[in-house]
Order: sequence, then C-alpha cells, then structure tokens
Amino acid sequence: MSVESGALAPDWLVQAEVGLCPCGCIGRRRKGGFVEKTLTGAANVMRQAMFGDEIAAGPGLLQGLDARVKVVTLLGLLVIAGLAHNTAVLLGLYALTFILAWASGLRLAFFVKRVWLFIPIFTGIVVLPATLSIITPGEIVVPLGHWWFGQPVGITSQGLGAAALIVTRVAVSISIVVLLTLTTPWPKLMGALRALRVPRLFIQVIAMAYRYILHLLGSVEEMYVARRSRTVTASSDLKAGRAFVAATAGALFGKAHHLSEEVHQAMVSRGYTGDARALDSFGIGVREIVWTAACVITGCAVLGIDRVIGR
Amino acid sequence: MHIPDGYLSPETCAVGVAVMVPAWSASGRRVRGTVKSRYVPLLAIGAAYSFLVMMLNVPIPDGTTAHAVGAVLIAVILGPWAAVIAVSTALAIQALFFGDGGVLAYGVNCFNMAFVMTTVGYFLVYKPLTRYVSLTSARRAFAAALGGYVGICTAALCCGIELGLQPALFHNAHGQPLYAPYHLAQSVPAMLLAHLTLAGGVEFALTLGVVAYLQRANLPILRINHGSVPETDAEIVIAPRRVRWWWALLPIAVMGLTTPLGLLYNSGAYGEDNPKADTAKFLHRNHLTAIPAGLNHYANFWHHALFNGYDFSHDKHPSVGYVVSAFFGAAVISAALLAIFGVVRLVRRTRGLSEENEAELQAVGT
Repeated sequence: MSVESGALAPDWLVQAEVGLCPCGCIGRRRKGGFVEKTLTGAANVMRQAMFGDEIAAGPGLLQGLDARVKVVTLLGLLVIAGLAHNTAVLLGLYALTFILAWASGLRLAFFVKRVWLFIPIFTGIVVLPATLSIITPGEIVVPLGHWWFGQPVGITSQGLGAAALIVTRVAVSISIVVLLTLTTPWPKLMGALRALRVPRLFIQVIAMAYRYILHLLGSVEEMYVARRSRTVTASSDLKAGRAFVAATAGALFGKAHHLSEEVHQAMVSRGYTGDARALDSFGIGVREIVWTAACVITGCAVLGIDRVIGR
Repeated sequence: MHIPDGYLSPETCAVGVAVMVPAWSASGRRVRGTVKSRYVPLLAIGAAYSFLVMMLNVPIPDGTTAHAVGAVLIAVILGPWAAVIAVSTALAIQALFFGDGGVLAYGVNCFNMAFVMTTVGYFLVYKPLTRYVSLTSARRAFAAALGGYVGICTAALCCGIELGLQPALFHNAHGQPLYAPYHLAQSVPAMLLAHLTLAGGVEFALTLGVVAYLQRANLPILRINHGSVPETDAEIVIAPRRVRWWWALLPIAVMGLTTPLGLLYNSGAYGEDNPKADTAKFLHRNHLTAIPAGLNHYANFWHHALFNGYDFSHDKHPSVGYVVSAFFGAAVISAALLAIFGVVRLVRRTRGLSEENEAELQAVGT
C-alpha cells in the first residue's frame, strides 16, 4: 500500500511551498491559489494515512490487544470522559492517555501534535468569548469595564471553568480516538466493527471508500497537473479557477463511476454475490482480560473521584 | 459543522444515534432494493466523493474555514438514500482518521449533515422544483443548487440548536456549563450567519457547477437517479393535474388546530373596535374627542349575531366561546364550499362535459 501511495504523491506535492523572503528581495513570493492549497491538504491526508499504517503495524501495548476489546474499552473511556464533570479528573485521564501512547511506542511529540494541531486549539479560540459575563453570568474575577449597556463586564469564574472543562474534555476525547486509530491497522478496525455487529453493508462501503479516497486524490492531482502544464499565464484567474473546480468535481464523478463499474465487474467475476467475508483472527487472552479489568477500574475510579471532588 | 467530542453531553449523543439507527436501516434497505449487488462500489464512490468535497475548504476572515458537504449533490446523482449512507461513511472516516467530528458525536453529526441536509434539500426543495423539468434544463441545476443551499442552512440550524441546548440542560450548581457554553440566542445566529453566507454559497456554487457540467458533458451519470426523466423540454408531457377537493381540508385543519393562538392576543384588531364597547379607549386610540356621528349610528346596526364577539356565553367562558365560534365558522364555510362544488359539478354534468371527455379533449389538444 505504501509503495502505491508513494507513487501517487510525488515529493514536490507533499512538500510545502518554498517560503522566500517576505520583503520581496529574493524573487517573487507566490501565493498558492485555493486549488493548490486543497491539493496540498490532500497530500497531507495521504501522508497521515500512510504514516498511520506503519505505526499500527509496530510493537506496543495497544497494538498487541484484540481489536474488538480495544474498540469497546476505548469507546467506554470516551463515554467516561463525556460523563466526568471535573477539570482535574479530566486532566488525570489526559495524563493516562500519555502513558498509553508511551507504552504503545508512539513518539510523544507526534502524539501531542496530532491531538492539539487543530481541534482543541480551535475550541480554545471558540470558547474564549464564553468566559465573559455577557454569555456565562457569574462571579466576575477579571473586570473589563462597563461597555455592555452600562453593565459590568468581565471574565467570570464560571466562564473560565467552563472553557477549561470543554478544552480538556475535547483534548482527552481526541487523544483516545487518536490512540485507537494510530494503533489499529485499518483492516483490523473494520473486522472489529464487523464482529461488533455493525451491518456488513456499512463495513464494505467504509473499507472501499477508504481505498477510493486515495485513488480519487491521485486522479484529482493528475487533472490538476495536466491543467497546469497547459497553462501559460502566471497570474491566477479566479473565475477560471472556479470553473475548473466545478468541472474537475464533475469529471471526477464520471471517472469514479467508471471505476466503480470496473470494480463491480471484477468483484462479480471473483464470485461476489453481495456478501463479503473477512479473515477475522481475534483471540481473547490474559492480556485482554487484564486490560479490560484495568479499564473498568479506571472508569469507576474516574467517575467516583469526580463525584467525591464535586461537580 | 462537524461537532467534536466534548461539545455535547453523552445523553445528546445517545439521542443522535437512536434517531439515526432507523434512518440508516431504512436507507440500507432502500438502496439494496434499487441497485442490487452494484450498490457497494457505488456507495463507496459516493462516500469517497463526499469526503473529498468536505476537504475543499474555503477560508473565512474570522480564521476558520467553510466547506461544502455535497449531500444534496450526491442525492441528485445517486439518490437520497444512497446519499445518507455515503455522507455517513465519509463522516465516519473523518471522525476516525482526522479527528474532524467526534466519535461519540457521530450520530448527531450524521443527523445534521447526512439525514437533515439530504431530506430537506432533496425532498423539500429539489423534487418539488423539478416536477416537469427535463434532465438538461438549467432549472434542474438551479433547483439542485438551491436544495444544497437550503439543506446546508437547515443542517446548520439543527447544529446550532443542539449546541445551544447544552448550557440550558447541563450545568453544575454554580451555573457553570458542562459542555458547549453558548446559549441558543448565540449559537443559532452564529451557525446560521456563517452558513447563510459563506458555506451555503460554496455549497450552492459547487452543486450548480457540478450538475451543470454533468448535464453538458456526462448525462449518463445523471441517469443513475433519473431513469425516466426526458432529456429535453420538448419531450415533457405535463399530465393534467387533478386537484381533489379533499386537499382543501388540509389548510382548514391547520387553521383549526392553530385557533387557540388567537387567545394569546387580548386586544382587538386596529380599526375593528366597537366604539360603544369601550368608548374611552376607542377615543384615545384614534385621537378623537367624540365618536363620529355616522359611526355612532351604524356601529350596532346588526346585533343579532349568533356568536356575537366570537362568544356565546356573555364572557363567562371566553376561551371556550372563542374555540367553539372558530369551529362553527369553519364548519359553516366548509359546508358552503361543498355546496358550491356540488352545484358546479351538477352544472357541468348537465352540460354533458363529464371529466373523462374533458381529459380526452386536453389530450387531443396537446
């Protein structure tokens, strides 16, 4: 898979644009258009998917667990994180995800970057106004004047508490999901979902869609390169860019449909009748029992402490 | 619009999943029934396509980005039920691999973007607008685009309501919100503003562009979901639409059921006051010193009404009087309408223009 994906994403596409001197003394700084940025984003998607497969195949605590047990227990921890109402308790749970990441052989810097890169920081910015007394009324700890219809405005302790709580919970939740997906190879994850009675239709569609995404990204990239190689002008035409995006999206559907017909015929020729079988190699051993017990104890402890400390 | 984990209470997430399970099961059954064994690769293509469409982010000045969902576009191409599954699949891959949208919040996200967006955009906008429209008509592309716009805005409204309910339902003893902190008055306008302008615009432009491109360049793709729709406007045959009389009952029933709303308003409508009932109020309201002579003379010219002032119990039970008056009025009007219909039908029959002859004449005419 990695060889195939490597062929789809050449290095120049995966690399970010060269940042020349912003003052303009060296050459001309080019700003990539939105089409180009989307393609760069697409390349990142592929890189993440490829890198993820390598980690999932490596040795480690979570990698060695039965995928079904892992899905159920981590989902349980996710619900526990949702039910916990105390920031300190959630911080403890967050520390626990670090230990699990370390025990699974993940580089901690990578793990932190993967978790915090977008959503929790974004959440922090989004909930910032919610700390003000206008939105979350309560005890003002940092007064900020009287500019709201003559009423005192300031950061309230309730608002700060709510913001801290939501950012921590979001970080814990994403950490748990990242732990699951980084340590489970894609086919095993699908097998686990199948074993947990998720309808076969959905498993098949998800599994095939995942492969199609990589394939379709390759098609988009080829179309874009073909277009650029025929373009003489240096300046970008926004109107032409939009028309290109719409036409690409339309043509992509045509290509995708053609592909689905071919795939379907290939499936039928191999004996496909609308039902799929997978080689599920699951086994519950001592390791799984100990892990499940540890998760149950952790869950009860988290909820217990959460109640004792107070909500 | 992808709600991450931690923004919604586990209870809300459970409701989301509970609502989506029947929707998924119904969609699965319908899709399986229509495209047979071909459905799996086709749905997978739809899902991969939706995933790529959601990746096409357009930057917004406030630092975030807006993206299209493509649910209505996929519904137009592959059918609405396939779209529900395709978008749900794309959301599952996003939630698992890219942390975009939560795993616990998966049901709620699917409800907004896969279910609400598709059903509203396709069944309430696209379908009614393309009743007698050919496959290559510009109107069809526009209807699809409008469906996408209305769909994404409705989905955003649902998202705003779900987030806005959290602080009211889940907070601790100190009034500190436990999940998303914004109230309905803040979350709904915030979500709607971004989607009515930017994301809605992106969705509109993308759907319009793709459907117009397919009409121009790849009609067989549009045939997947529009098997029997004629290709050009010239081939359209508009069947004579018979409006059955009982359709008239629907608005009457709606109005009847909403009658109690009138009880919320105490004061009479402007210009309809009885000057003799409350003279002082009437004079004050109209800036007069005396009741005009003509008005004074004719105001109570007729006072033998059965339900005078929408009442029959002399204000002992005003609410009951009001509701009974409303239903009596509706019944009288319905009876009158039925009588008129009866007379019209009788006249037509005696003239020898039965409905069948009429239909035949129309067919010959076209």
